[in-house]
Amino acid sequence: MKTTLSGRRAIAVAASVGAIALVLAGCARGGGDVAPTGEDTSAAVEPSPGITDTTLTFGISTPLTGATAGPGNCTVDGALAYFGTKNAEGGITFGDGKTRKIEIKSYDDEYNPEKSAANFNQMVADGVFAAGLGLGTPTNRAWREAAIEADVPQVLVMTGDPIFSDRTESPVQLGLVPIYQQEGAAFGEALVANGQPHKVAALYQNDDYGKGYLQGFKDAVAGNPNIEIVKELSYEPGPASSTPNYLEPQVTELAGTGADVFFQAVSVTPRVVENLAKAAAIGWTPIWFLPSNTASPGGVLTPAGVTETTYPGIYAVGFSEAAAAPPFAESEAGKAYFAAIAEYAQGPEQDGKAFPHCVWSWIGAQILEQAFEKMTEPTRDSFLDALYSIKGFDAQFAFGSIDTTVDGLPAIQTVSLQKFNGKGYTNVDVVG
Amino acid sequence: MNPFGTFIQLLVDGLAQGSIYGALALAIVLVNQATGLVNFAQGGMAVLGSYIGLTIGNLLIPGVGSTLGVVLGIVAAVIASLALGGVVERFVMRRFERAEEDTKVVATIGLLTLITGLVGLIWGFNPTPYPFFFGGSESLRIGDVSISVWSIVTFTTIVALMVVLQILFRGTKFGLGMRAVADNAPSAALAGIRVGGLRMAGWGLAAALGTVAAILLASKSQLTPNNFDGILVYALAAVVIGGLDSPIGAVVAALGITILESLAAAYIPWIGHDLKVVVPFVLVFVVLIIRPQGLFGRRAVVRV
Repeated sequence: MKTTLSGRRAIAVAASVGAIALVLAGCARGGGDVAPTGEDTSAAVEPSPGITDTTLTFGISTPLTGATAGPGNCTVDGALAYFGTKNAEGGITFGDGKTRKIEIKSYDDEYNPEKSAANFNQMVADGVFAAGLGLGTPTNRAWREAAIEADVPQVLVMTGDPIFSDRTESPVQLGLVPIYQQEGAAFGEALVANGQPHKVAALYQNDDYGKGYLQGFKDAVAGNPNIEIVKELSYEPGPASSTPNYLEPQVTELAGTGADVFFQAVSVTPRVVENLAKAAAIGWTPIWFLPSNTASPGGVLTPAGVTETTYPGIYAVGFSEAAAAPPFAESEAGKAYFAAIAEYAQGPEQDGKAFPHCVWSWIGAQILEQAFEKMTEPTRDSFLDALYSIKGFDAQFAFGSIDTTVDGLPAIQTVSLQKFNGKGYTNVDVVG
Repeated sequence: MNPFGTFIQLLVDGLAQGSIYGALALAIVLVNQATGLVNFAQGGMAVLGSYIGLTIGNLLIPGVGSTLGVVLGIVAAVIASLALGGVVERFVMRRFERAEEDTKVVATIGLLTLITGLVGLIWGFNPTPYPFFFGGSESLRIGDVSISVWSIVTFTTIVALMVVLQILFRGTKFGLGMRAVADNAPSAALAGIRVGGLRMAGWGLAAALGTVAAILLASKSQLTPNNFDGILVYALAAVVIGGLDSPIGAVVAALGITILESLAAAYIPWIGHDLKVVVPFVLVFVVLIIRPQGLFGRRAVVRV
């Protein structure tokens, strides 16, 4: 067989590229060995990218524009505020004895998985040490595998998707917020606890989000003769934030069952607003369950015209104090939080309380700080080891202590069922 | 609620939601009549108009009270979008007058992206409540069926606008001129019709109409920059089914597909709510095969 000229040229090119690569790799390794490392002569480990003796770069890919921009900007602003304060105080003393300032780099993914995957490549190119805190299930999933392959920590992501806290599936990941199942289960347990018979109608988003919530609820009420799930309807999540256009037909159909409990796992804010108004308009007044991301009093319930008396109860699951509640603003920690948000937040019109994600990000930043203080080497491996070994840490504004040692569960594990009281939410143990 | 009550409720809900789709379909027909193209930015322009109404309304409410503030906000939004539609036609679309059809369509898609981005830049992407006379929860009860005030107002407003447009098209010199322009612009110009002016008017009217629909929708479900992205798809389906040149056809088709979709979801188990979105598009296929000009459209006759 004759090799063509172009074929031969290709082989030659490939060979030279390979040779050059080998030489470069050798240089890099050799250079590392001989380069003077300053006063620290005992440094045996090569630092990971994104960390120097004085700084650490942390990347956040999250929606900064688009329909989820409000919460998305918060995921950056909470961390900016927390680390901004710490940096102003001189920085954080790491486990290796060095004091570093934390630099946050944010990347807009518009809640678009393609963009977030591209953002990951950009973060690698920009040399971030670790990334995370961003919100969104599809967007975080889009670069999960790439992060594992590149060995870049993807931590404290704001999604209830359990996959991020599964150590086998996701060896360099960790979720921040409770998984969907925990929220659904918290409501289910509290419903069982009131001992009354209930007929439950369910509307869920036909994906991991909606199914996760419903599964958590079903597992919690399984085998209880008092609880009957009379009808389950679903909808297809669309690509745009505004799709599906409306879910009122589902509400009407479920109203026809005469159920006294409406378990609603819908993630699209305008649709939840419509549904809350719709059920009242057609005279169906069940007990509601809402997922934590569509239960905001100011953003969802009040615009829907819902008051404390519209329904016998609107329940959601909380795991952090609400910045909008008066006790928060009066506390010392709360004052420091608002001052930091006012000084360091970069999102448009950020007041730190319109969305809970600012507080969540602040909690995530505290957990990161714990890991930084524990990591003994400037490497990603050391950081992950430190991050996975936090136990009994009482973070500001979180309901329970932080535990990152349990496989399958995210950093924040303590959830509390809450009931809408007309202005905000009050913690409750039992539904009814 | 008994099963029959549920059925009637689904019909009533469908009429209200369908009239929002219908309004956008109507706007698309209007632009198509004026300039012979389909404007993908119609929803985006409508949303921009409603944000203008929101801002002006919010500015005026402290001074003149909520009722007058909302009314003036709507009036300002309608006037602003009339102007905006005309300006977009004159200074953007006019540049593509001699371009190929595909180029024009791509230009309108570009407009949609631009307008959505601008709205987000100015007003942000968070859902914003629209100050309106009522929300989605007020309702009248007739037997087993509740008709929300929102549904009644939306439906009657859109139907009234449709009737006005139909009269405008079929019964006035203005409408005749517009149809002449859409049919054959060079001949219309030779006959002394001011082609440019009519095209601007068509775009302006369409934008104003879209704005009314966008405000009605926002009063129920808040305002976001991409409020109409999903609705545009249904409006286009309605236009294809009803006929690109028929205002009545567009609205009737919009109402029809919305109701049919709901009923199919509720009563045909293998369709359900997960698959209902295909119902309008299956109808589009059927109509295109059986009656390509649309159910209410006029067949284009070519003399040989």
